[in-house]
Amino acid sequence: MAQIITESLVESLARERAFQLLDKGSAYEILSPFDGLESPHLVAQNIVPQFDDGMIIVNGTLNGQQTVIISIEGNFQGGGIGEVSGAKLAGTLEKLIRECEKGNKINPIIIYDTGGVRLQEANYGLLSIAEISAAIVALREFVPVVGIIPGKVGSFGGMSLTAGLCSALIMTREGRLGMNGPEVVQQEAGLRELDPRNKQLIWQMIGGAMRYESGLADILVEDDIPNYKEAILSIWNGEIQLKHRTKQVDYYLSLFKSLDVQEKVTPQQAKEYLNTNQVNVNIDLSAPTEAVNTTGSKWFELLANGQPSISEVPSVLVADTVISGVKARLIAVVPNPENIYYRARNGEVGLLEGWTIAKYVRQAIEEDKNSTEKRLIIPIVDVPSQAFGYHEELFGIYLACSAAVDAYATARLSGHPIVAALVGNAISGAFLSHGMQANRLIALNDDGVNVHVMSKKSAALITQRTIEELDEAAKEVPSMAYDIGSFKKLGALFKLLEGVNAKEPNSDDKDQLVNAISEAYNDIKNDNNRDLSCRLKSDIAQSSGRKASIQVREMIEQQWR
Amino acid sequence: MEKLIYSFPASKTVEQPAHVGVVGSGDLEILVEPTDENKTVVEIRTGITGFQDTWKKVIERFVSQNDVSARIRINDFGATPGVVSIRLAQAVEVSTNGTNHN
Repeated sequence: MAQIITESLVESLARERAFQLLDKGSAYEILSPFDGLESPHLVAQNIVPQFDDGMIIVNGTLNGQQTVIISIEGNFQGGGIGEVSGAKLAGTLEKLIRECEKGNKINPIIIYDTGGVRLQEANYGLLSIAEISAAIVALREFVPVVGIIPGKVGSFGGMSLTAGLCSALIMTREGRLGMNGPEVVQQEAGLRELDPRNKQLIWQMIGGAMRYESGLADILVEDDIPNYKEAILSIWNGEIQLKHRTKQVDYYLSLFKSLDVQEKVTPQQAKEYLNTNQVNVNIDLSAPTEAVNTTGSKWFELLANGQPSISEVPSVLVADTVISGVKARLIAVVPNPENIYYRARNGEVGLLEGWTIAKYVRQAIEEDKNSTEKRLIIPIVDVPSQAFGYHEELFGIYLACSAAVDAYATARLSGHPIVAALVGNAISGAFLSHGMQANRLIALNDDGVNVHVMSKKSAALITQRTIEELDEAAKEVPSMAYDIGSFKKLGALFKLLEGVNAKEPNSDDKDQLVNAISEAYNDIKNDNNRDLSCRLKSDIAQSSGRKASIQVREMIEQQWR
Repeated sequence: MEKLIYSFPASKTVEQPAHVGVVGSGDLEILVEPTDENKTVVEIRTGITGFQDTWKKVIERFVSQNDVSARIRINDFGATPGVVSIRLAQAVEVSTNGTNHN
């Protein structure tokens, strides 16, 4: 009997994957292990680093076409994104944007194998993923950004948001794509919500076949190198029509407004539902029966100056107002105890919220498209987390968040100044979707203002440490701490406002925030850059907060040929 | 994390640098860089503490079989002595025969 030997991508290490796909003899690695750019933050926590920090950049040709493959090593720290690995990915994409702007078309391919943010570096991962997302949205305008999710880890966490932004996705049956991993959903929502030990169910929910059959992935391949190459070429030569899913806002929003999740929807039903062509667009959602009174809603009301929300989804407030003489759109995510999605009733960003943010940001872009003065957009950030739930994963909460990220990034690139006001919690995927794409970040110095990637309980579970050990590590590595003062040390904040009452703001507090927003607005107006590079240019970023991120980008530039 | 350093006399130069392995569960990565100092220097960082004696034996055995003037750096994530020996042999193979990627 003839023996068929397949060249497996799944079974290969990240570096082998990149070289296997590229034409033989054409490729060279940028920032190889011999450059020794490892994570300073893992070493500081006594954790063994890897010489390339688990991110492999290989420049070469594929079928004769200039191609850069960025491949994530899933075996090292679960493919988690830290400062160095994140900067390698973001920095490479940023370099490709500059090359494309010069007319050098180079095709990017990202091979995903990642659990998302590396919890031991926490907020560095968050900042990196925002920068990666921003770069994908900009680069997509020049060349298709191809994502491959072969497995074994799959693509999770914040990195699933970046996968959702890719022009096209190639998956295998073994690959999985979801936002919150099954273990984390269980930790946050309980065993009845999702049993992570039920592997068959997990793959039926978020596996490659399900994502492909639901129209969320473009090509499903058997794990053999020629198949991946064929798939990549079919995207490049236009055989595969790009779906631009994150721009299909009306479709997905009405789909999720009319979904009934009172009883558990099976993966089979979900697949059929996601393939529905006709959806009912006239659905009224139940609003809270009592007045919502959270930090975020209070600030929204103060800044809106009596303007009612125009949003069709009660958990997202949207109003147009005037801030120091400048037209501005406010957006806040708030609790709604009547939310049809029971895992998103406390102000979390869920399926509805992500798509609703996308809708109203895109509406502002559309309304101002012929105007030279683009409306200021102000995300008011008080978000406890993304929604952790069975239905959220089944129906692709990652894509709802990608859609919000895409809308904000597109608004920024089209000239809308965006100033995020951190008045409460700014956590994880919720913050990535709502705030992190802003040109400038302003925060109130208050104990209610926290920036982080995961609850301490879940972070302890995943990294196999105690909560005490996590607190101890946070003293050495500020990116692991939750408080806004530590976040400031990373250099991404435009301003940290002192002496403002965050939880019970009065008109003086409002004036202080408004002044800071105006200051940020003017700073944006005097800056020609519409990307997120100002976060790397601040004094704090340069002197300490983002040293490694800056060095990585400089070295990519030096080694490029 | 524990750091260990061993040094042995050597005479043969290595052809080219080599990198093998991954810092994944039960595995390790090894970086071999040629030197002209006539010694083999092995620098180890391991997440599993308290196994100095085992490491010493594994490295001594490797050096007794391979005469290489090189700086060898190891990042270990709980590899067994067998895996360590195989990876070291692989690293020498790559640096001698040049079967690095591409």
